[in-house]
Amino acid sequence: MNGILSRKKRSFFTKHDIECTALLLPEIIGFFVFTIYPIIWAVQKAFYYYNGIQSRTTFVGLDNFKALFTTNGAYWSALGNSFLFTIGKLPFEIPIALILAIIVSKNYKGFKASRVILYLPTIISVAVVGLVFTNMFSYFGYINAVLMKLGIIKSGIDFFASKGSAMMVIIIASIWQTFGINTIYFLVALSNIPTEVYESAKLDGAGTLVTFFKITLPLISPVFATILLLAINGSLQTGDIILTLTNGAPGGQTEVVMTYLLKSMVPGFAQTNADIGFGCAVAMVNAVIFSLVALIYIRLSKKVVSYF
Amino acid sequence: MHSLFEKIKIAVMYLVLAIGLVFVLFPIFYMVVSSFKSNIEIMAGGANFFPVKWSMDNYITAWNSDVFNVKRLIWNSIYYTVLVVLFTAANSCIAGYVFARGRFKGKKLWFGVFTALMFVNFGGANILPTLQIIAKLHLSGSLSGLIVVKFFGINVVNIYLVKSFVSSLPKELDEAAMIDGCSFFGIFRRIIAPLLLPIVATVVMLGFQGSWNEYLMPMVFTASDPLKGTLVSGLFYLKSSGGAATNWNILLAGSVIASIPVLIVYLYGNKYFIQGLTAGAVKG
Repeated sequence: MNGILSRKKRSFFTKHDIECTALLLPEIIGFFVFTIYPIIWAVQKAFYYYNGIQSRTTFVGLDNFKALFTTNGAYWSALGNSFLFTIGKLPFEIPIALILAIIVSKNYKGFKASRVILYLPTIISVAVVGLVFTNMFSYFGYINAVLMKLGIIKSGIDFFASKGSAMMVIIIASIWQTFGINTIYFLVALSNIPTEVYESAKLDGAGTLVTFFKITLPLISPVFATILLLAINGSLQTGDIILTLTNGAPGGQTEVVMTYLLKSMVPGFAQTNADIGFGCAVAMVNAVIFSLVALIYIRLSKKVVSYF
Repeated sequence: MHSLFEKIKIAVMYLVLAIGLVFVLFPIFYMVVSSFKSNIEIMAGGANFFPVKWSMDNYITAWNSDVFNVKRLIWNSIYYTVLVVLFTAANSCIAGYVFARGRFKGKKLWFGVFTALMFVNFGGANILPTLQIIAKLHLSGSLSGLIVVKFFGINVVNIYLVKSFVSSLPKELDEAAMIDGCSFFGIFRRIIAPLLLPIVATVVMLGFQGSWNEYLMPMVFTASDPLKGTLVSGLFYLKSSGGAATNWNILLAGSVIASIPVLIVYLYGNKYFIQGLTAGAVKG
C-alpha cells in the first residue's frame, strides 16, 4: 500500500486519494445532500413561522422556542410519556433478557435452538406487531375473553381507553418485540467470560447466586452499561410501535416524543397547515435533551461500573 | 451424576425458558391461526384460540381486494427491497473496503463523521427537506424517490461489518495482486470482493429484513397514493385509516403474508443475522 502513496508525492492529492474519495462518493454526496442540508434547513426553519407555503413564511426569531417553553404543553407531556415508557419497560425487559441469556448460554438440550426462537419477534415488522397486539387486547378480543373465562376479571377491560392500561399494552408489545436483541447482546457478553473463572469459583464453594453477583455481573458490567445505554436511547426514541398500537389514543395521552414530532411536521401524519417552523424548534430542543440524557447516563454508569 | 440441587436448578431453567418461549411464540401463533377465522370471530371470538371453521377466505379476499391490493403491494415490496438491498450492499462493501485498505487523506475525517451520524436523531425534521429534494428530481409520491435516498444513505453498521471483515483478510493477497499490476479498485474487484461472501450474506439479510419491514418512510414517501407503497406500509395505512374494524380479516391475512418472507429468510440464515448483530453492535 505504501507504494501507491510514495509514487506520487509531489501533488497534494495523490491518485490514490482521489480514487478512494471517488469510491466513497455515494456516501459523501448523501452526507451533504441528505444529512447536512436537511439539518441546516431544519435549524434555519426553527426561527421562522412556516406552514409549507413559501410566501407565508415569516421570521419570528426566538418565538418558537419561547412558545415551547411557556405555552406549549403537548411536547412536554409527550416527553414525560417517553420517560414513562422507558421506566416502565426496561426494569422488566433487561432482567428478562439477562435471565434468559444466562439460561440459554448453558449447553443443555434444546437451548441452542431456543436462542433462535427468542430472537424471532425482532424479525417481524413493527407494523405487524402493532396490529396483532391491537387485536389481542381489543375490548371484545382474546385477552379479555380469556381473563373473563378464568374469572380474573368480571367484565372486559377497555385497554385502549385509559392511559395506564394503554401504556401497559404498549410496554408488553414493545418488550415482546425487542428483548430478543438484548438477550443476544448478553449472550455475547457471557461467552466472553472465561470458563476457568467459574470453575475456580465452584472449587471455592460459591453458590449460584454468589457466582452471579460476585462474578457474572461484575465481569459483564462494562457491556451491561453499553446495553443499557442502547436500550435507554432506543426506548426514548421509540415511536413506531406506539403509532401502530394506539396512535396516541386515548386523546393523545400515550403520545411520545417521536410520534409527537412526526405529527407536528411530517407529511402524511401532520395536518396540512401545521407550523413546521415550530416543529423544527421542538426537534432541536429534543435532540439536545436526548443527548444530555445519554451524557448523564455515561457519567453515572462509569461511576457505577467502577464500584465493581 | 447430578446432585438433587443441580437437578432442581436444571428443571427451573427449563421452566423459565418454556415460559419465555410461550411468551415469544404465542402472538405469532395467534396471528397465523386467527388469519383463518371469519371477520366476526377475529373481532369477538371469545376465548377460542382456534377457529370454529378453518377457512382460506381471508387470503382470497385479501388477494382480490381493491382497497388493499395485495398483489400490487407485494410487487412494490419486492421492487423496493431488492433495489435497496442491492445498492446498500454494494455501497457498503466498497466503503468498507476503502476504509479497511485505503490510505488516503480524509479517511479519519469521513470515518469519524459517518460514525457520528449513528447518534444523530432529528426526529423527523429532516424528512420534509428530503422530500423537497426528491420532488426536485421529479420522483415524488413513489418508492423510487425513497430508493434514491437509500442509495445515498450511509449504513454505518454495514460499513463497520465489512471493514472489520476485510481487515481480517491477509494483506499479502493485495500485495501480490499489486505487483501483478492490479489497481486499488482492481484488487477489490478481483481479489477482495469474491472473499466477502459470508459478510455480504449478513449485510443482505439484515438489509432485507430492514427494508421489507420498514413502514414509516415508505408510507411518508407514498402518502399521496398508499397503493404505491409497500405491503407493510399498506397494512399500517389500512389499520390507521379507520378501516380496521371492517378489515381485520384482510389485516391479519396481510400480516401473515408480510411476515412469511422474513421468517423464511431468518429460519435459513439466522446464523448470519446473529453474527451481524453481535459483531456490528457490541464489538463495533
